[in-house]
Formats: sequence, structure tokens, C-alpha cells
Amino acid sequence: MSSDVRFTDFKSDKQPTWCPGCGDFGTMNGMMKALANTGNDPDNTFVVAGIGCSGKIGTYMHSYALHGVHGRALPVGTGVKMARPDIEVMVAGGDGDGYSIGAGHFVHAVRRNVDMTYCVMDNRIYGLTKGQASPTSRSDFETSTTPEGPKQPPVNPLALALASGASFIAQSFSSDAMRHAEIVQKAIEHDGFGFVNVFSPCVTFNDVDTYDYFRDSLVDLQEDEDHDPTDYEAAKEVILDADKEYQGVMYQDENSVPYHEQHGVTEDMSEIPDGAPEDAMDLVREFY
Amino acid sequence: MGGKAHHNMAEDLNWAVGGEAGDGIDSTGKIFAQALARAGRHVFTSKDFASRIRGGYTAYKIRTSVDKVQSVVDRLDILVALTQRTIDENLDELHEGSAIIYDGERSWEAEIPDEMTAVDVPLKSLAEEAGGAIMRNIVALGAACEITGFDVEYLDEALEKRFGGKGSKIVENNKAAARAGQEYVRENYDLDHLGYNIETTDNDYVLLNGNEAVGMGALAAGCRFYAGYPITPATSIMEYLTERIEDYGGHVVQAEDELSAINMSLGAARAGARSMTATSGAGVDLMTETFGLVATSETPLVIADVQRSGPSTGMPTKQEQGDLNMALYGGHGEVPRFVVAPTSITECFWKTVEAFNLAEKYQTPVFLISDLAMSVTEQTFPPEAFDMDEVEIDRGKLVDEDEVDEWLDSQGRFRAHAVTDDGVSPRAIPGTTDAAHMSTGLEHDELGRRTEEEDERVHQVDKRNRKVETARDEEDWDYREFGDADADNLIISWGSNEGALVEALDYLEEDGIDVRVISVPYIFPRPDLTEEIEAADDTIVVECNATGQFADVIEHDVLTRVKRINKYTGVRFKADELADDITEKLSEEVPA
Repeated sequence: MSSDVRFTDFKSDKQPTWCPGCGDFGTMNGMMKALANTGNDPDNTFVVAGIGCSGKIGTYMHSYALHGVHGRALPVGTGVKMARPDIEVMVAGGDGDGYSIGAGHFVHAVRRNVDMTYCVMDNRIYGLTKGQASPTSRSDFETSTTPEGPKQPPVNPLALALASGASFIAQSFSSDAMRHAEIVQKAIEHDGFGFVNVFSPCVTFNDVDTYDYFRDSLVDLQEDEDHDPTDYEAAKEVILDADKEYQGVMYQDENSVPYHEQHGVTEDMSEIPDGAPEDAMDLVREFY
Repeated sequence: MGGKAHHNMAEDLNWAVGGEAGDGIDSTGKIFAQALARAGRHVFTSKDFASRIRGGYTAYKIRTSVDKVQSVVDRLDILVALTQRTIDENLDELHEGSAIIYDGERSWEAEIPDEMTAVDVPLKSLAEEAGGAIMRNIVALGAACEITGFDVEYLDEALEKRFGGKGSKIVENNKAAARAGQEYVRENYDLDHLGYNIETTDNDYVLLNGNEAVGMGALAAGCRFYAGYPITPATSIMEYLTERIEDYGGHVVQAEDELSAINMSLGAARAGARSMTATSGAGVDLMTETFGLVATSETPLVIADVQRSGPSTGMPTKQEQGDLNMALYGGHGEVPRFVVAPTSITECFWKTVEAFNLAEKYQTPVFLISDLAMSVTEQTFPPEAFDMDEVEIDRGKLVDEDEVDEWLDSQGRFRAHAVTDDGVSPRAIPGTTDAAHMSTGLEHDELGRRTEEEDERVHQVDKRNRKVETARDEEDWDYREFGDADADNLIISWGSNEGALVEALDYLEEDGIDVRVISVPYIFPRPDLTEEIEAADDTIVVECNATGQFADVIEHDVLTRVKRINKYTGVRFKADELADDITEKLSEEVPA
């Protein structure tokens, strides 16, 4: 790792095709800043991206990366981290990727507490398919596939994470660039699964959960309130508070031990001998 | 009732223990198999079982000989029956010379055909005297030793292996239980060993099943990461690796489903680990989602499919070779791949090693197809059959930091999907300086960036397919051959039917029928059998499925019609049964 890495080193030369004003620009910039601030460089960073507008992030960032199958970004990140505990793993996806098609993986990635960062660009809409309801859409949010609204409550991803035994739960807003980068940095620095739900407004298809809406409603847990993220009961309260939108670190287990340490996985699995392991005939003799 | 008289192969004995699931049938059978292996005898086992832990009929069957045995036959000589159903289920295989060991003190009234030898042994009472009713199966093993004249000291060795970890008291009790059974039969019956003479040799054999061979092959090949979701009959690969892979610095993750399992394995492979997952057909259905991504991102990955009877939940504990089409054609779009199907337990080991090399040399998914029969069958081999010095590791075009330069474009960007003559691009893993790059399931340019430009698309599709063509030229895609190479009758098989076919040759020879057997371990790419089929008068393709998936492929390759023998009862081929099927099929007209 070199100390003089700038966040622009994580930028590829490919121009994003996100709509002008898309929240994903700010989300990505904050992720790049946080990676640079934590001493990472593109050659030791692996970004896993899902499918959707958010999934394009792998193309616009410069690092080792895989742009995978819809909903399966977290398992890919898990595999990378297990094989190479020395590599910084950053997983990015949208609310559809993480809380709909990939919801099962989300629960289990949280439980496993793999030492990686998961930024969900939550715009409460399906953007790439041009405006259908997402799992975080409001119950009365009218879309082409839900003309009268989904008529079902949105998923509360923070509560889902809490119920799954998360060791780090945070929320940020892509437009609050400094706080967003700070929060993602904390997630990277966390020893375990650092989960950040990022409000990342869709300017084209969502006229409800807009920049103005979040600017007006967001309460900052650290700057506006005196929230202690190590206090589980306090975390539960803000996470289950349906009346307010919060940003900041809701919960952090200071005693978190990441999966690979729990399982004693420390070695670089990419290095193997030129032939069978030296004592491999013992594997055969076991069957006497 | 079994018609075949004693097979002429010297010292051939067919033994079984059966009862309800939960009766310890599997471990009892395994102990006897190990005792036979310790005596330098060859063993081939098979299992009848249901997909539940308690209740329902289950049996562990052993065929043993001083010669190599590699098939089950339709004959049972000695049966330890813990339930009446065990007898009823096996009436077809029992014959007039068979002996049945049962416990007359138990509540069921054993109905044993008069012409068979009924050996009533108070298994439970004798076990209790020896230290506990739990050892009643061991009493039965001692009785079986006496009936066949097999030295009980070999059984002692197996008992030491099985119970050694539980302390000497347990071992001694079990030995006493075995002797109680032995002595009871000696004192109460005058059987003169029923004419058996269980010859022993000085050979030292290992006893293992196909899944253990796959797991061992993975470790030998440097596999360091495995993610899987439990499914019959693949789980024992995962269990084998879980117990051992950490000794080599690796790890096994139990994923939340097969979708996750293959993606975790893919992630580990992209990070540079030799990585695999294993499942059965129902799990392959889910994994197919990611199959195209493995191929287009050019990730080396081994995917093992231990086939079982389908479709849907099918018969989860029964044999079938029904996934060939899925392995060949599964997934949307056109997915380059290799499909390898080991034909024996030793080949499960060697083909697994080869699968890892193919995967890394060509950065392409490799399907390793085995099946239920091979996965649970335990067979003896000399340890040299798994000579670890013969294991070769080829990591292909894995580039280190010094080699990165030659693969950078004019702007210093790493060409991870460079279009090359052989189709294979350089592979750099995370941590390699100046080689950071993206890969994706989207069509992409040489740098891994999305493109829909027509030329780029064609270049990438061609180069991925060219890897398979390169492999076709550079690797051996041989078949295995048995029987009479000049015979007019050609039998073609794939996967685990090889052993039964090889033994069927003996039966056919007795009847004066010459046969050439070609056993094909490579499904794609595969050997071209045009000349072999044209040289034969009659060609029969043998496989455990209803529609003849491999026969279809062969007909397509060779543009001719073949005869087919298909078995889809859920039970593997037996050598004698197969010999009869072949004889009958040879007399039929070639299909139009």
C-alpha cells in the first residue's frame, strides 16, 4: 500500500452513464475517498458490483473488480475475502440487488460477519428498468407495475441487518459528501461486515424520495444527536423509529471478530505448491 | 429367486447386512469391508438406502474376491437380516446356497425360504453379555466370519480402526462380541463353512468411495476453497474437505444456497485460489444462473455434479445419469465449458486433478460429473493407484508482477481479456501491481469494460470458444478401452458404468460373445468415435437414463444410429444383468 494514493486513483477513465444528478455519483466518490483515506490502493482493492444502475460502479472505478450476477455480489465478496484476507473488499449494489433478489444473501452475509464493506445505493426505485417499485419503495408509491402503490410496507434494511446479528449498521446520504465518506470509512475500518445503506436519489423515476426530501428530513445521529453506536438498545430504537430518517452510524459492536479470524483463515490461498502437498500420501493411507 | 449359479471367478463372495435406517447398517458394513481389505481381499460395496435417517429399509452390500471386483452382481450369498423386509427385498438375489443370519429372539418371525440356510443367532443377548446391546451387529459379523471360515482377527483390525478413538475398553468389548457370534455358530451349527474358503493375501489395500476420491483429488490439486450447500449425494465431498482442508490453509464455507455457493467459489477463484463447489442436479439448476458469468469473466472453476435421480426432487437417494444434457447445454446463451465424467473411483481422483488444471489453463468452467452409485460405493485399491508424485499442477497463464508489462495497453491498462491466438488471456490476481482490472458478465472489451461494439463482441466470443479448440488440440481426450479390440460388437459407456461393463465381459466371454468396450470420460470435448463405430457391426450405448442422452450425442457426432441400453430404475447396472441385456440387444435389428 502506498501512502500517496489519491481518491482519483480509484477512478477509471470510463465516463459514467448515470443520469445527470444521479445520487450514485456522490455515493461512488465517497467510497473512493474512504478507500484512499484508509490507505488502500487499486491493486489491493476488490470491488464487487451487482446488477442495476448501481452495478455500473465497477466500470467507473479502477481496482480489481467483478461485475456479477443480479443479487449475488455478497457471496462473491465473501469468496474473495476468504481466499485473500489481505485484500480490501468493497461490495456495492442497489436496493433491488441487496434487499429483493439478494435478500437471502444479505441476511447470511451479515450473520457471517465477513470483513468487507457493503454499500447499498438505496434510491427506493428500480431505475435501470425504468421505474418499478423496489423493496424499499413506500407502500403508496405509484409505479408502472404498482399503479396503486405496492400496498406492502417497505423493507427496513437496517432492522433486517440488526435482526440478522449485524456488527456494524450505518446510513448515509450521497449528497452529504463529507459525512457519507466518513461513514463509509468507518465501515471499512470496522473489523467485520460494515453495512452502509446509502440514500442515493434517483432524479428520473422517483419524485418522492428526492434530494430535497432527504435534506429536509435527515437527522444526523452524531452531529444532531448524541447517539452512542455501541449502545445496542439505543441502536434498536433509532433503527425501528418509523417517523424519522437518520444518517450516521447506528450500531457498532466493538468486540466484533470477523469470520476469517473466527475460522482461523489467515493464509493467502492463491499460493500452492507445484505438485501435490508434501505429505499427500498420508491422505491415501488414511483409507487403510 | 436368483438363478445364476456361483460365478466362476475364484473366491467370489457376496455379503450384505440390512435393516432399518438407524440400525447402524452403514458402519457395520463398512467394518466388514475393512476387515476384508485388511485380509488383502478386494472389495466392492453398494448401498440400498432411503432419504431419511430413521425407518425404512437400508442395506450395505459387499462383493469380495482376491481378484479386482468393480461391479455388483445379482447374487447374495450371506445376508445379515435385522428385519424381515431385508429378506423380502433381496429374494431375487438370494439363492439356494445362501445363508441368512437373523436373531430368532427378536419379535419378528423370520420367514426364510426352506432351501436356504437359516442361522439363528441371539444377537442382542450375546451383545448384552459382551457389554451392550448396541454391539449386536458386531455379533452378527463374528457369526458371518464363522460361517465363511474368515479369520476373525481381520475383523479385530477393523474394529480397532473404527473404535480405537473411543478407548481400549470399547475395542475389547467389540472384539468379545465378535467372538461370541463366532463361537455361537461354531457350537450350534455344523456348516463346514458352507464350502467357502476365504483366501487372504499379503496385499494392503485402501478402501474409499468416489466422493472421497474427488475430495482427495481436490486437496492433491491444491484446492483451497470450497463453498457448498448440503445435498445428497454430494455432501460427503464437502464433509471430507471440511475435515482436512484447513491443514492446507484452506477453508470450506457452508453457503445459504447453491446460488451463493457457486458465487463464493467464483469469488475465491478470482482472488487466485483453486476453488470448487459440488452439488447434485437440483443444485446445478440454481448454479446454472452463474455458469455464464464464470465463462465470460474467464474464471477457473470446478463444479462437481454428483448426479441423482431426477427430475425435480425425483428419487434423491437413487442412481441416475440424467444430467448430461444439462452439463453440456445448461445456461442461456452459448457457454464454453469442459465436461469431464470420471469412469471409476480412481478416476474420480485423477479427473478431479485434471479438472483443476483444465480450469486454470483455459480459465473456463469445468463440469466434473459423477453419480450417486460411484459416490457411495467403497472399493479397494493399492495405494499406488493414487500416487501423489504423479500429480501435476499447471496454473496456465497466471502472470506475476514482472510479466504484467507485456500485457498492458498503450495507456498502461491491463488486458485481462486480451485476444490471443490460443484464446487464453493473461490472468492477474488481486495484489498484482499495475494489473487492476474488471471482469464482468456483460460483453466486454480486452480491458473487461462493457461493450456492444460488433467487432469487439465477435472477437471476445471467438476467443472464448478458441480456448476450447486449443484445448481440443493440446490435451488428450482419450477413451478407456476393454475387451477385444477387434470384436464386431462395440459397447460405449460414460461415467460409472465402466466397472459393470468390464465384469460383464467375463459373462459374455463364457457365452462366446466378443465385445469391445469403450468407456468415455470426456463428454466435452470428447473423442471422435466415428472410426470405431464404423468398424463395428453393432454399437450399443449403455447409460443410466431413460432417453439415451449420450447415445443422442454419439449419433449426432457420427451421423448413424446406435442401439441403446437404458436403465432408469434408480439402481446401477449389475454385471450379470448387463451381460444379459447386451446379449439380447445384439440380437435386435439396428434402429432405422
